[in-house]
Amino acid sequence: MPDWISLVRERLHPLDLPENERREVINELAAHLEDLYEEQIGNGISQSQARESAMKEVDCWHPLAKDIQRAKLKEGIMNARTKQLWLPSLVSLTTAMLSLMSFTLLGVQPRLFYAHHAVTTLYFPWLAALPLCGAAGAYLSRRAGGEQLACLASSLFPAATLLACFFFILLDSIFGTGRALTFSGFLLFVWNWVFLPGTALLLGALPFLRPRHHETPSLA
Amino acid sequence: MTKRIRSKIARGSAELAILALLAEQSLYGFDISKRIEEKSDGALCFTLASLYPMLYDLEKRGWISGHWEANQAGRDRRYYSLTPAGKKELAPLRREWNFFFQALDRLAGVTNA
Repeated sequence: MPDWISLVRERLHPLDLPENERREVINELAAHLEDLYEEQIGNGISQSQARESAMKEVDCWHPLAKDIQRAKLKEGIMNARTKQLWLPSLVSLTTAMLSLMSFTLLGVQPRLFYAHHAVTTLYFPWLAALPLCGAAGAYLSRRAGGEQLACLASSLFPAATLLACFFFILLDSIFGTGRALTFSGFLLFVWNWVFLPGTALLLGALPFLRPRHHETPSLA
Repeated sequence: MTKRIRSKIARGSAELAILALLAEQSLYGFDISKRIEEKSDGALCFTLASLYPMLYDLEKRGWISGHWEANQAGRDRRYYSLTPAGKKELAPLRREWNFFFQALDRLAGVTNA
């Protein structure tokens, strides 16, 4: 029995794909040739003729490698990063902001906290709703084939956005014309509007943060 | 121009054949080529070189999805199945081809040949 994997690997050397994907393609094509070879043997053809007949499936391997590469790397309307990171992140951010807006419109009052000459607000119902937003982002990312890091980033995106906003406010209060904000006040804001929401988002995302298995089975 | 039309027809018919076959059951590459050859009485033949770029293209478009599974002989093979997007694509594709054949028939009397 010929070593089909080695035969295909040698001939498909121009195939430039990530290692996992390349190995998967080689295994799949080798499996096809192996099936063809065994079918020919079953029909009473000699081993050398069967091998020759199987190899005739491909006239020229170089264009095949290019065709496979083109098909595999062709990007649709959305590329993988958009599907695995940006779109889920946008969903978690939008749902988080819409839920905050809804609670505000419904007249749910925030709790006020005073500390270190600063006052900050906490929306407990919003915090309770955030695990759902985090779960939505992580689920969409995972469904699109996102790795753990992409799922995590998608779920925590609303907290990261709020952190970026607070940094701008801090910079404005230091260098610009904004109202003075003490550093302890900033930390309090970050605790209430970034850390606590981030924890709530993470809680929702946890079920979708399991590692993926990338094993490609070997032939026979 | 003629070559481009021919190649488009060939490609379109091959896509339809694969999607229609996978609508019935999940199959792996070698099985797909055998079934298409058998069902079309040898009129449609796929070689390895013509089949796999098309399967990968359909997979990239999200119409089919592949997963490794042991076949009846206990060997791991990459089975393809139709995705919900592929199912949605199949119905209009069938209608388009039906319309195309009817038009061709009116024009060239294909069924009376």
